[in-house]
Amino acid sequence: MKRLLFLILTGIVAATANPALAQDPIKIGLMCPLTGSWAAEGKDMKQIVELLADQVNNEGGLLGKEVKIVIGDDSGDPRTAALAAQRMATREVAAVIGTYGSSITEASQNIYASANIIQVANGSTAVRLTEKGLPYFFRTCPRDDEQGRVAVKTLLDSGYENIAILHDNTTYAKGLADEAKKLLDQKEVNIVFFDALTPGEQDYGTILSKMKTKDPDVVFFTGYYPEAGLMLRQKMEKGWDVPFIGGDATNNPDLVKIAGNKAAEGFRFLSPPVPGDLPTKEAREFLEAYEAAYHTTPGSIWAVLAGDGFRVIVEAIKQTQSTDTQKMADYLHNEMEGFSGLTGDIAFNQKGDRIGDVYRVYRVDAGGNFVLTE
Amino acid sequence: MKPAAGQIRKTAYAAIILLWMVAPLFIGKYWTDVLNNVAIYAVLGLSLNIILGYGGMFHMGHAAFYAVGAYTTAIVNTAWGVPVLWLMPAAGLAAGLFALVVARPIIHLRGDYLLIVTIGMVEIVRIALINNVFGITGGANGIFGISSPSVFGFQVNSIVAPAHYFYLVTAFLAITIVLFYLLENSRFGRALKFLCSDEVAAQGSGINTAGYKLAAFVIGAVWAGMTGTLYASKMGFISPESFSFWESVVMFMIVILGGSGNIAGVLLGAALIIGLPEIFQGLQQYRLLIFGLALMIMMIFRPQGILPPKPRSYPIDKLEKNEVSF
Amino acid sequence: MEQFFTQLTNGLAVGGIYALIALGYTMVYGVLKLINFAHGDLFTIGAYLGLTLLTSLALTDHIGGIAGILLLAVMAMGLVGIIGILLDRAAYKPLRTSPRLSAVVSALGASIVLSNTVMLVYGPSTRVYPQGLLPSQVFYIFGLPVPVMRFIILGASILLMIGLYVFIQRTKIGTAIRAAAIDQDAARLMGINVDRVIMLVFFIGPALGGAAGVMVGLYYGQITFTMGWTYGLKAFTAAILGGIGNIPGAMVGGLLLGVIEALGAAYISMAWKDAIAFFVLILILIVRPTGLLGERVAEKI
Repeated sequence: MKRLLFLILTGIVAATANPALAQDPIKIGLMCPLTGSWAAEGKDMKQIVELLADQVNNEGGLLGKEVKIVIGDDSGDPRTAALAAQRMATREVAAVIGTYGSSITEASQNIYASANIIQVANGSTAVRLTEKGLPYFFRTCPRDDEQGRVAVKTLLDSGYENIAILHDNTTYAKGLADEAKKLLDQKEVNIVFFDALTPGEQDYGTILSKMKTKDPDVVFFTGYYPEAGLMLRQKMEKGWDVPFIGGDATNNPDLVKIAGNKAAEGFRFLSPPVPGDLPTKEAREFLEAYEAAYHTTPGSIWAVLAGDGFRVIVEAIKQTQSTDTQKMADYLHNEMEGFSGLTGDIAFNQKGDRIGDVYRVYRVDAGGNFVLTE
Repeated sequence: MKPAAGQIRKTAYAAIILLWMVAPLFIGKYWTDVLNNVAIYAVLGLSLNIILGYGGMFHMGHAAFYAVGAYTTAIVNTAWGVPVLWLMPAAGLAAGLFALVVARPIIHLRGDYLLIVTIGMVEIVRIALINNVFGITGGANGIFGISSPSVFGFQVNSIVAPAHYFYLVTAFLAITIVLFYLLENSRFGRALKFLCSDEVAAQGSGINTAGYKLAAFVIGAVWAGMTGTLYASKMGFISPESFSFWESVVMFMIVILGGSGNIAGVLLGAALIIGLPEIFQGLQQYRLLIFGLALMIMMIFRPQGILPPKPRSYPIDKLEKNEVSF
Repeated sequence: MEQFFTQLTNGLAVGGIYALIALGYTMVYGVLKLINFAHGDLFTIGAYLGLTLLTSLALTDHIGGIAGILLLAVMAMGLVGIIGILLDRAAYKPLRTSPRLSAVVSALGASIVLSNTVMLVYGPSTRVYPQGLLPSQVFYIFGLPVPVMRFIILGASILLMIGLYVFIQRTKIGTAIRAAAIDQDAARLMGINVDRVIMLVFFIGPALGGAAGVMVGLYYGQITFTMGWTYGLKAFTAAILGGIGNIPGAMVGGLLLGVIEALGAAYISMAWKDAIAFFVLILILIVRPTGLLGERVAEKI
């Protein structure tokens, strides 16, 4: 039994370790969470990137070659992500898109850097990721400090004085909450509440009751859409009408489904613009193709940002006529300017961060639609 | 018949050891790194085996000790720049002390009550880490910038060269196997197994059951803490999600699936539990489903674990010649 | 004080659901000494099956709101109960005579299989129950707003628990279950079909979990494939807290855990909520090593 198992094991190891000899297609890696708690994001990322790759292939491919997407599952877990990155690095990919969570991306960063592979993260907003001076790391999502700045501006412009900040103790939400708190502390406002909920639960009555005793003018929730939707619904049930403002993790149509139109109305959130609000041809075509292929609209904004990651990589390969990492990175750092993305214009600074004012403020209307304000 | 079987087993072990040692030369970085993970979890499994396999205590919170070791390493290394391998004893000590404090009051709990208490312990540790307890754990972000280990001035960077790290972790695994083998066959190991199979009788024979149980806990924790050093220096950064309750479950499954109380079984368990999900990577979103099924099927066909320990025998002729000692 | 009562009702509402799931753990444990780690996933399946039945059969349109929801709950309970029996056959029955922890690992494997099956069948994104099926009135008790649904949830949980308690204590089949829990061999000698009892236990326990799943779906509106793990762990904690194998213990443990969480979050720290709950559990077990009401499991020496 044992030896049989061992034979099978070594057999599979041998079979998998030798990559296919066909060198022809241009391979682009996608590292995303296909299992685990963030599987929904991973599925969206995969669908969007595969759709875009099909489009490129239907239009004759890239440099006359076919584009092939190599997928690695990071399970939303640092250890698995490090393995997925090692695996990706052996697959001769020209560049890698992903991944979602900041600490997951961090586990893979050095592996790609040492393998000289360009990495374009899509959902990893933690500030420190681009402060390490890695030459081949980029991200299509803005950073926490950028969003914190916009959030604080929005809160102050609305004239709120007693502000409650609620996060969920994930890297992303805590990072954003900390940034916002840092900026608000310098202003003439009171932070009456700063605490975390436990994500993944159903009943947030306790936290709502507790916040209510502090009587805030507004609640800034930096966590994700399921909790935001549940809280909107439960606060209406309790007859509490404090306004909520969310971060870009609440930008998901499911928010309204969970909360119901009535409870969601008036909710505001910050987010890069969704493709439906962009006047560009690329965005329109993408939306049509997505709806035709999957019969729904894209879910979270971060999956769309993975699509933008794919598109900037393709653009870099096209413009430099090569898959050379250094050439592509130089192009992305220095030459790409005003590239028309699915989430607005894209350009990168020397750190690999996206530049320009990305954030918009959205509001949920009575019909449950996300409406761009301003 | 018997010597032949023993001979085959020895040859098989030798072959596996040889294959393991030369494997990084042939299998590339990715699979080498998979083996690194297998080795780390093998050590963790062996350390849990002392508590769960020999001691028979239902302990599903081993990741807590692992976390204490990893965080001790990370904090001291990033704050004062102490080389990581020097921190191994400190990490082990911290985890051991932690185990001593928490295990003392709960050691007398039976079976499933101990199980839930250890689950509670690992959850409390994780929540404490997330909430940046004492302001030193970095909260949900964790701690980054941990240096890679250096052996006599040679930098062992697992990211650039997983094979270098492979030999480091293999050395630690080998030391662990030897020490735990000696422990298993010592007076301490026998007493532990005895109280595991029948606590009342063990107490009646004058074994200080609470003391032995506590000792088993502390030894297991020390070892898990030292493994935490290896993990922290391998990844270069650590965050609380690496020490969740599920990690404890993984270690638990390694011991039970492989063969609780048997070193070779635990090693095989680590290879299966850590290796199979990687082998199934090609299945993408189906891989965990298949893994779960494999787990159930293996357990049903080998209910004692894949390699259960052999019952200990004391042949009478050897006893008379004093070849077997108590 | 106002804060205290509000948080008490919050805690009881959540606690009622914990208690309902905990009953499944406790029943299976009582008879088989098996910690069924897949129980939380049966709860998830209940929630998803409830959603499928609700949207595909449109029961509430045909036979009215309340009756439709009741019928829906009964159907989901039945289906989850059958899945429970199948789960026992596939994963636990072959391990009946094996070391206890082997069955635990098999249960963990089953948990992985079930949650990933739900993910593959229904997709990984959050699913949403249709709204407006339930009354949304708000009660005022001493001037404090309390949604009426909280009472209905708590009431339904308590009703199911009392029903189960009466069934176990007063009926012949219940007596057989209790007998099998104390000593399977002796029960067999008394002419009790122990296999049938185990089957029944694996029907009732998961069915109650399924009912909790439907309730969570209907009330909170949002379900995910990973929620069973969290709820399952909490419910297991509740079962242990009350004394595992003990049905009133599961009820008390569940309600108490909910209240501890709510009050701990309100008065100590929100972010440390789960840690506080576990800490209290550990303290209680140090003082009372077999749970609050003591366990009802025969110990063989």
